[in-house]
Amino acid sequence: MASNATWRSPYRLQEAGLVLVILLLAALLTFGGGSVTVGGREVNNFLRVDNVVPNVATTMSWIAIMAVGATVAIAGGGIDISVGSVFGLAALGTAAVLQRFDEQASGWLVVPAAAAVALGIGLLCGLLNGAIVVGLRMHPFIVTLGTLSIFRGIALISVRTKSLPSGDHSLPLAFTSRFVSWQLVVERAGATPLLIQPVPMLMMLAWVLAAWVFLSHMVAGRQVYAVGGNEEAARFSGIAINRVKLRMYALSGLSAGLAGLVSTGFYGSANTATGEGYELMVIAAAVVGGASLTGGRGTALGALLGALVIKLIDNGTYILKQVNLGFTTLPVSKEYSKIIIGVAIILAVAIDRFSEYVQSRRLAMGARQKQ
Amino acid sequence: MLRADGAGEPTRRAALEVRALTKTFGGVTALDGVSLSVERGECHALVGENGAGKSTLGKVLAGIHRPDRGIVFIDGQMQAFNSPADAARAGVGMVHQEPVFCRDLSVAENLCLGRYPRRLGLFYSRRGARVRAEALLARIGAQLDVGQPMRRLATAQEQLVQIAAAIGTGARVLVFDEPTSSLSETESQRLFALIGSLRGRGVTSIYISHRLPEIFQLADRISVLRDGRLVGTVARAQASEAELVQMMIGRPLAEYFPQHLAAAPGRPLLEVENLSSPGRFSGVSLQVRAGEIVGLAGLVGAGRSEIARAIFGLDRRASGSLRVDGRALRLGSVRRALRSGVGLVPEDRQRQGLVLMMSGRANFSLVILDQLRRLLFLDQRRERRTAEDFFSRLNVKATSIEAPVASLSGGNQQKVVLAKWLACRLKVLIVDEPTRGVDVGAKAAIHALIDELARAGLGILLISSELPELLNLSTRILVLRAGRLAGELPRPAATQENLLRLMAGV
Repeated sequence: MASNATWRSPYRLQEAGLVLVILLLAALLTFGGGSVTVGGREVNNFLRVDNVVPNVATTMSWIAIMAVGATVAIAGGGIDISVGSVFGLAALGTAAVLQRFDEQASGWLVVPAAAAVALGIGLLCGLLNGAIVVGLRMHPFIVTLGTLSIFRGIALISVRTKSLPSGDHSLPLAFTSRFVSWQLVVERAGATPLLIQPVPMLMMLAWVLAAWVFLSHMVAGRQVYAVGGNEEAARFSGIAINRVKLRMYALSGLSAGLAGLVSTGFYGSANTATGEGYELMVIAAAVVGGASLTGGRGTALGALLGALVIKLIDNGTYILKQVNLGFTTLPVSKEYSKIIIGVAIILAVAIDRFSEYVQSRRLAMGARQKQ
Repeated sequence: MLRADGAGEPTRRAALEVRALTKTFGGVTALDGVSLSVERGECHALVGENGAGKSTLGKVLAGIHRPDRGIVFIDGQMQAFNSPADAARAGVGMVHQEPVFCRDLSVAENLCLGRYPRRLGLFYSRRGARVRAEALLARIGAQLDVGQPMRRLATAQEQLVQIAAAIGTGARVLVFDEPTSSLSETESQRLFALIGSLRGRGVTSIYISHRLPEIFQLADRISVLRDGRLVGTVARAQASEAELVQMMIGRPLAEYFPQHLAAAPGRPLLEVENLSSPGRFSGVSLQVRAGEIVGLAGLVGAGRSEIARAIFGLDRRASGSLRVDGRALRLGSVRRALRSGVGLVPEDRQRQGLVLMMSGRANFSLVILDQLRRLLFLDQRRERRTAEDFFSRLNVKATSIEAPVASLSGGNQQKVVLAKWLACRLKVLIVDEPTRGVDVGAKAAIHALIDELARAGLGILLISSELPELLNLSTRILVLRAGRLAGELPRPAATQENLLRLMAGV
């Protein structure tokens, strides 16, 4: 339906813009990254499968999974900055439970146990955040700032060994190398075989899909946008505000729990510092992906694309040795990644504001012409 | 040209004069070529119905709104105010209805805002501020503890601070915007005395109000505004209350004869007994029958919208008993109210009625999400179909149901809000200021719609500040005054004069 595009166009436009940014970044990294010799062949440093898949797509999985949850919270007019700690707690919890299993334990036993622990911890933490926000009517930033510290503290106290699995334990293979970090070996003629670990990416895509269904096809998703867009109007429409808020923080926690599960399965371990500082990346991904901190806006696809932008910047600072500006060259090292991510956040919101301004001007003009 | 009165009488020169002021907001014309001259030391009242443009005129004078066209002269000097600060520099101050101060700073700090007394040019001098604040208050004969934070002050005291601040910056013209709307009788009298003494010192007052009794007590001359135009200016001595009311209304009544009156009201759909909410209203009992439009009149602050909110479950402190179609409805939950068939079209459609960035379709379906639910999912095809159906029935003018409601005109936004409520099965619909800020065409359509709903057997509670609207549509009118029911007027007895009298309590 043609009219369908009218409402969606700003969003579509935004996602199209993100794709453009991603293409530009990729082009920059391709031409700026130079080439390396892999297995006797000269290939592009950035644009090669064994960089893009393991270093970008796979490691962005847990960031994107959390960014999806953060987008739900932000679209609902809230924010959850405790995700990094929830992530760490879920990762540690999963490792703590799984190390009790035999290394060769059956996958039918181990995977559900891991899922129950990680998702359970995430859900619980999220519900706690939501309950405090709703019950004490506090600003979610303050609440989740508090729980960010509390959850990290719980991890530090309960894991004295700093890292799990501890001692001579190890995690069951049915969870790690036969599930999350399972390797697909692709033989390449005349080169080293390509190793791909597809499970984190698949889980990320599944989670993005689930969030898309939730946000744009479920009643509960519509209610999130309504509460985020105008809480007062939502209340006047008989929407159970508290329930909606509780649900969105639960989803954010659940996302962090799932991300913790993926990370533990991928690395085969977790430690008390796991996930520290991730909130920056996660919220950055959500905001770059178009979620508006004033609420009412944000999409699952945007979160995925936002996470990709963040991860490309991260990867780019490894790939690029220097940026040639024509008249001078700037040295780049991975330490620059935080600065560039910071600039990207501000830039993304500034561009967003600008396009909103242009659009409102156009609306005003249109209204004037009508009269 | 020779002027007989020019040189000899400098005091007769106008303290304030406006010529051909025009101001529009979006598509709504708030002021339309208003010209007015006010003498020095005069207390000049601006009266008119809600939306007549009197507040807009006051705000133009105080530099809050910039006129589209027209000129303002202060003491014969042409002015172009870009901000309230410009107006203050030219000697115009305003006393607002709502608080304008930093609520957590002390009275002294607020009175010295922007011009803090310093010590050594660097440090804020608390004592200096105190002394200056007390001096400012003393100039208008007021005494307050200037060390207390602003939020502890009552409205009347806050107004004193506003007046002191304005006089302190050298204001020679003071604009009062409905200053008594939240004052008690004694506080009002004290304010009038103060305005009187300011007049003695050559301060000109522009007094905006719709309370005729106090205007007769206070004003030297009275200007009546209607639909943004100046109807006329009369000296108090020559004016009568009836004449003023006539000037304020000025348009023929009963432009529209409601159809619902043809049928006798049916069974009671809404029975409210002894509804109270501390500090808002108390002991309100009323009944709305099927096929009836019950008007609820009252001045701003009389508790009309508050009662609507309580019935709709939005007031947690409300007590009393409520029956909808004979079945008891417990207060305090919107969802319960909805389930028993009560709807509310709120007074502030942008803040309470709509999610502006969402599409018309998404706004429309907010209250019927449960009906459109298929398991956990939203049946978007049915949503779209229903929305299109209702939008065309109400003749909502939008590029499509997917356009964000922010892009619609006021009238069409209101139609979206109405559509939202029509889509669910209602027994009682409360409409609060349904045509505020709506153009004439949409207004007539909304009136016809409300009438049609009553004819279809709904019970309608209509809240409006626009008396013609109430008189025109209502089967009968209940009048609220200061949170209590002051009386009921059946349709034949309902006239503007009777209503105004009951509303103001004179």
